[in-house]
Amino acid sequence: MSSADDQTITLVSNDNVSIPVALKVAERSMLIKNMLEDIGESAMESPIPIPNVRKRASPKEVIEWCEHHKDDPATAADDDSDSRKKTTDIEEWDQKFMQVDQEMLFEIILASNYLDIKPLLDVGCKTVANMIKGKSPEEIRKTFNITNDFTPEEEEQIRRENEWAEDR
Amino acid sequence: MAAINTASAPYRASPDPEGDSQSSSSNSPARQDYEESDFYTGNNDSQSSIGVPTFQDMAVSREVCEPPANRLPPEVLISILSKLSAPLDLLNCMSVSKAWARNSVDLLWHRPACTNWNKHGFICRTLSSPNPYFAYRDFIKRLNLATLANTVNDGSVIPLSVCTRIERLTLTNCKGITDSGLIGLLTDSSHLLALDISGDTQITAASMMVLADNCPRLQGLNISSCENISNEAMIAVAENCRYIKRLKLNNCKQLDDYAVLAFAKNCRNILEIDLHQCQMIRDQPVTELLVNGLTLRELRLANCDLITDAAFLNLPLHQTYEHLRILDLTSCTRLTDRAIEMIIDVAPRLRNLVFAKCKTLQTLLKLGKNLHYLHLGHCGQITDDAVIKLVASCNRIRYIDLGCCTHLTDRSVTKLASLPKLRRIGLVKCSQITDASVYALAQSRARAHDQNVRHGDRFPHHPVSSLERVHLSYCTNLTLDSIVILLNNCLKLTHLSLTGVVAFLRPDLEPYCREAPTEFTEHQRNVFCVFSGVGVTGLRRHLNSIPNALGDIDDDQTMTGMMGAAALNAADEEDGDADGDEELEDGDNTGSFGGMAT
Repeated sequence: MSSADDQTITLVSNDNVSIPVALKVAERSMLIKNMLEDIGESAMESPIPIPNVRKRASPKEVIEWCEHHKDDPATAADDDSDSRKKTTDIEEWDQKFMQVDQEMLFEIILASNYLDIKPLLDVGCKTVANMIKGKSPEEIRKTFNITNDFTPEEEEQIRRENEWAEDR
Repeated sequence: MAAINTASAPYRASPDPEGDSQSSSSNSPARQDYEESDFYTGNNDSQSSIGVPTFQDMAVSREVCEPPANRLPPEVLISILSKLSAPLDLLNCMSVSKAWARNSVDLLWHRPACTNWNKHGFICRTLSSPNPYFAYRDFIKRLNLATLANTVNDGSVIPLSVCTRIERLTLTNCKGITDSGLIGLLTDSSHLLALDISGDTQITAASMMVLADNCPRLQGLNISSCENISNEAMIAVAENCRYIKRLKLNNCKQLDDYAVLAFAKNCRNILEIDLHQCQMIRDQPVTELLVNGLTLRELRLANCDLITDAAFLNLPLHQTYEHLRILDLTSCTRLTDRAIEMIIDVAPRLRNLVFAKCKTLQTLLKLGKNLHYLHLGHCGQITDDAVIKLVASCNRIRYIDLGCCTHLTDRSVTKLASLPKLRRIGLVKCSQITDASVYALAQSRARAHDQNVRHGDRFPHHPVSSLERVHLSYCTNLTLDSIVILLNNCLKLTHLSLTGVVAFLRPDLEPYCREAPTEFTEHQRNVFCVFSGVGVTGLRRHLNSIPNALGDIDDDQTMTGMMGAAALNAADEEDGDADGDEELEDGDNTGSFGGMAT
């Protein structure tokens, strides 16, 4: 396995920048891992395009995260148990990692979704969920710059039909 | 109720570019809403009318002016919203925009909280609404009325019967519910996976026939104490709900062999079955459950006192039951050592065995080393020799109860004290034992340590005594001297019972003692003496503060124990050959022991 540890592959972002990445790091992406498994050894020599990772989010951040987490146990991140779903606890390194502007935060989320890096997607989603907690609808709209497309009557109807969920 | 009049209001979220004029093109908008929330399936041919592709298209073409949050595909938005657990947070998200509403409504309604009558009323009002914004009824997957159990009746569940996608229905102790209420809930509920109607004593065969006809996917059923359900109805359930895995029939005294046989023959995937107090059950269903149950893990037969040795002796010799972990035979008084021998032979991985009140057991031959939990309370014929043999062959025991095994002496307890993983020991009314037994329990770690050092063992034992709960009530010979040592050496102790032991009926100990249960008589209160949690800590501190509490006991005994506690790492020589499950549990232990050591 030691030879596999040193192996490097080349990713190409959509602005044609080649990025050499250790195989072990790149394989945090299930998309890349499955692709390599499907195509076989030969694929490792040719560059792998990742077009859906946008310009502004250079894959740099995503690779940085994968570097840090390259030795995490794979199974723990993959299970969809309730415990993982319902907690918004985030480990310290990841919290710092996610201290970026909103644009970048959503780019990281979209990239991890496209590249199928579940634990990173999970951390990103938790970060956004924590930004939502305790806020009123208007505060949420302001935070994320979302337009309210409800009529006042519709909003009132939603509120009424879901009254049981109001804190009391 | 006037508030429900929404006839002129738009019917549902619609991305209709003309605005939210009432759509007449679809006569089942509610259904579309539901399907959209299920969009992962990707085969939704009505997508174009509900916005998902539009949303994605916009992300490409209008990227520059879209705020980043609007570019999130729905599955990512749902991942974010699913991290929110507070209903109020989800409701606030629902009010943000139509897209957010569509993606949070099923999370909010997945398990609506019927935790008080106010909320129950609001939920029923919405479900009864003629023109709801969403088809809320289809989002409800779990319904639990247990917190309202005392006051629930048929009237309070009828509005809920419009929900036909319920997967888990919990109506524990809703005594007011009758067949008419339950049948409404079960009809057309083809998604039902688990039903708990334990304690709903008015329920009869009528409901069970509806269950059999409507709920083929059922996996869990608890009808404990439903004494009005007939055998015929249960046979119908067994024949139609073949995926049942967990079955609780406690206190169904009316059930006979045929009902249980039907489950044994039809439901081959049973994992757990509890027949506590099904007093008519005889040998054949027990044999058949074992023979047919491909994955039977837990078999509880407490108080099924018609069961004889034959239930086990009739098992085919060539077959073993690798999955069986838990067997409860409390008060199966006809069982003898012969049945136990057979059980041990065919179920080598049994871990929990309860033989309480199996009064004829004597020898405990051949109990296996996988045993973690053994209850032998009231097995009055058990002798020291049997216990000594037991300890020799079952060194992984964590919990053992020998209450009322009156033949036992210090010889037994001295051996038991050497069990390396012992956490709980019950010796209530073992009235022959003396302080020597308690010293042995208090000292076991130190001794194990000495031996290891002498033999140069690579795997030192746990540094701190693993004992957590010690039951010594009515062991009348005990004195303060030994208990002080026990308290000082066993730092993980959280429970110590000494009811009826004269040496502890002292007013200065009362502040640390638990309150006697209210139903106790005057006499019972006077002798009650149980310490738990902070009471144990308090008792330890108090006894150590009285100079003569230690009497003339030399300090060496305490010291040896404490040295052992400080010196060693947590690991266990037995872990090497442990199976997977075992390692999991031991992992936990190691963690907590390690915590103690530092």
